[in-house]
Amino acid sequence: MSKVVVVDDEPFILMMIEDKLKKAKIDVVTLRESRNALEVIRKERPDLVILDWMMPELSGIELCKRIKEDSDISDIPIFMLTAKGQDSDEQLGLQCGVARYITKPFSPKSLLELIRETIGNK
Amino acid sequence: METNNIQHDLSLTVQELTGAYEELSLLYRISEIYSTLSIDEICSRIVDEAVGTLSVKTAAVLFIDEQGESLYTMSHKGNWDSDRRFARDNDIIWNSIEAKKPSAFCRIRETPHRDYIPRISSLMVCPILGKKKVVGAIVVADKELGEEFFSNDTKLLMAISSQAGLAIENASLYSELETLLVGAIRCLVKALEATSQWTAGHTERVTEYAGMIGKFMDLEPEMLEKLKICSLLHDIGKIATPKEILNKGARLTDSEWLEIRRHPIVGAEILGELKQFKDVILGIKFHHEHWDGQGIFGLQRDDIPLMSRILSVADTFDALTSDRPYRPKKSKEDAVKELVRCSGSQFDPVVIEAFLKWVRT
Repeated sequence: MSKVVVVDDEPFILMMIEDKLKKAKIDVVTLRESRNALEVIRKERPDLVILDWMMPELSGIELCKRIKEDSDISDIPIFMLTAKGQDSDEQLGLQCGVARYITKPFSPKSLLELIRETIGNK
Repeated sequence: METNNIQHDLSLTVQELTGAYEELSLLYRISEIYSTLSIDEICSRIVDEAVGTLSVKTAAVLFIDEQGESLYTMSHKGNWDSDRRFARDNDIIWNSIEAKKPSAFCRIRETPHRDYIPRISSLMVCPILGKKKVVGAIVVADKELGEEFFSNDTKLLMAISSQAGLAIENASLYSELETLLVGAIRCLVKALEATSQWTAGHTERVTEYAGMIGKFMDLEPEMLEKLKICSLLHDIGKIATPKEILNKGARLTDSEWLEIRRHPIVGAEILGELKQFKDVILGIKFHHEHWDGQGIFGLQRDDIPLMSRILSVADTFDALTSDRPYRPKKSKEDAVKELVRCSGSQFDPVVIEAFLKWVRT
């Protein structure tokens, strides 16, 4: 079974993604704080990481940079969720190695389709 | 047991919130998309959005005709005939429009409406309401997975149709205004042309030629629209040229030529009040410039507005192929040769290239 780690400080977003993925038979680990996220990702070795851009303490973009610097986990694809909708932000995200840049509010249905496209049907 | 119930409730709530979030993202997406499109484009996007969001095999946008007696198909996808119409009688779609509410029909083949639309087994209809009047309806049919329609589907379809109603109404107001504007301009031009026997029909032909050159240059629709208005108004400055000069049956003297050569600047001055027409006015002011800088104002190459460079080719082509008091018209072939000869001196070579593509099709 595929596994996805989701990090977002909005509990509703976490619940929604968890519900959608579980129904699609994808294993989900959710985190409300970005602080321990790096350790969790190292331990869980997911097929995909979904990060919120704007989180207190450690931002999604910072977390993304750290994942890409760690050769053990750097090849895990990353989706960035954010309410930022400007092209320059998207450029910055893509420069940091983000596979997909998804603006909020997003369609849960399309998110699931994108996830399937990226990790295949494991 | 209690925990199970709570978990179940929570799961239902999450499901409901997910539906609401889907709706929110949909509204966000379509309000952004719809704001700048034409009616045809809006309708085809509505169909795409309905097919994608509701996962249905078939979708269609229907409009009420001018008499208010019949619905006709504007855009469709899937199992639908493009010339399908629905007369106003005791009809599923009309009922939904009259009630101003969506309605769903599952397993339609097991009901008296079995033969309503051939090859369709479930159907959902939602009226498209504008602020002032009912525009028509969206019809979706047969989900991809063969499921029935749920109440959340109704909500999503309503979200699509409410945005669509406003967007269509805005687009049609815009197009009415545009028709009025272009109509008023055409009247003005006709009044101008009525004063000279030599220029009758010149403006309409130049407008047509310039439009074709613009299309072959792959200009954006907005630019083509401006080019059209610019072409229609390009000789408006001749209003100030004495009639005797315009109608003179012989070659013009130098001073008469100088008078005629004022018409681009006079035109720009007349239209100067119309702030929204800034580009159009510049296009008119410089339509007698030459690519090599030998025109009225001495502007060169890219300093000459693109509209002027196109207009210059279209204007000259029509002048060469029309009779003048002092010379007969050239054949189309000879006129084309003359324009090609002046490519790079009088005319922008890129415009001439597009012109040649058009005349050779």
